[in-house]
Amino acid sequence: MKNYRYILLYLLMVIVQILLGNFFPLSRWVLISLLPALLLALPLDTRAILSMLLAFALGFAVDFFSNGMLGLTSLALVPAGLVRGPVIRMVFGDELSSRGDKLSLQRLGAPKMTLALILLCSLFFLVYIWADSAGTVVFWQGALRFALSVLVSVPVCVFVMRLLRP
Amino acid sequence: MARAGKFYLGLTTAVIFILLEIAAISLLDRSSTLQNIWINRISHNVMAFNWGSMTKVRNYFGLKEQNEILAGKNFELFKELQHYKELEKAVQAMAKLDSAKLPSRFNYIPAEVTAMGTNSRHNYIILDKGSEHGVKPQSAIITPNGVVGMIYAVDKRYSYGLSLLNDKVSVSARIGREGLVAPLSWDGRGSDHAILKDIPLHLTVGQGDTVRTSGISAVYPPDIPIGVTTGSRLIDGAVNVVDVKLFVDFASLRYVIIAENPDRQIIEQMEE
Repeated sequence: MKNYRYILLYLLMVIVQILLGNFFPLSRWVLISLLPALLLALPLDTRAILSMLLAFALGFAVDFFSNGMLGLTSLALVPAGLVRGPVIRMVFGDELSSRGDKLSLQRLGAPKMTLALILLCSLFFLVYIWADSAGTVVFWQGALRFALSVLVSVPVCVFVMRLLRP
Repeated sequence: MARAGKFYLGLTTAVIFILLEIAAISLLDRSSTLQNIWINRISHNVMAFNWGSMTKVRNYFGLKEQNEILAGKNFELFKELQHYKELEKAVQAMAKLDSAKLPSRFNYIPAEVTAMGTNSRHNYIILDKGSEHGVKPQSAIITPNGVVGMIYAVDKRYSYGLSLLNDKVSVSARIGREGLVAPLSWDGRGSDHAILKDIPLHLTVGQGDTVRTSGISAVYPPDIPIGVTTGSRLIDGAVNVVDVKLFVDFASLRYVIIAENPDRQIIEQMEE
């Protein structure tokens, strides 16, 4: 029953991301993405290969159903899928997976969860903004867009992590 | 086994990551003109870098053949240069011979050192001139800078001499132009030192006096510089010896002059 709730919420968040992309573009300087949180919220024992494949599929779905460029979100999200495991080990420690524990915001605390999401969001937006700008914007514009996007997306992702409990 | 499994898992992960990124880039390339131009530019840069690197590597390995040709040419030029250097030195040696104003009663033959020993107590020297060039045994081997030794045996084209660095060779020497005459021989202590023996105890010899051949010999021309005195010492409380630093640098000796006294046999017969 709990799994059904998790899957439904997960799909709902994907739909929310698509809607955000289609109907709520804040500004050209700010991007909001729940996708790093959706990657982090996968079960702890998910291997890197599976998380990368899921990241690709998620990115493809979001790009396909929104007005985005097909492949852009996948390009940015696959690296986040690759480093998901190392980020979890680095932030939460090795014992988490050996205990068979779950990634719970309530149990692990907001600071650690925020740090993990900052890392994943940073990598995601770094690749996303770099590929999106295609060498047409100057560095400080890209840097500003990156900083604002991380600043806005991380709290949203923390909220998503609070909802999603695998 | 576990390590190998980990390695293959890592390898598979890396391959899948690369494939997924390539797929994403391909999608992006098709979906936007701007990104298409950007990706093409990046791929052209990468390809240009790769081609440049490959060309560099190919050129590097292709250079081996060129290097061999150049090395061959280099060797030929080196041989040619050596030939001219030798010619120049021979001309210089002959010019020195002319300007040395050596005593005219001696016959002089320029020669080149073919082989020389300096590491034993009985050192030898082999010269590239023999009997067909007029070289005779008991001739002096000198340079304008000093005495080198004495011809011991003569072949048709080569001659064998005893170097001054041979304890069997003794040269009649004079300290200064008008000074004391004494036999000079090698003491075996170094290739640049010799000693003057049989110096009377009551005579003192200063440092820095030039030692020359005395001329009281049928073998060595007079006044050929040999070396310079560096001090004297008493041996066994009975004999005084004078240390002499030789002028000739045996380590770099290449060209010499053979001095042959045509009257040597007459003088020796008279001595008998």
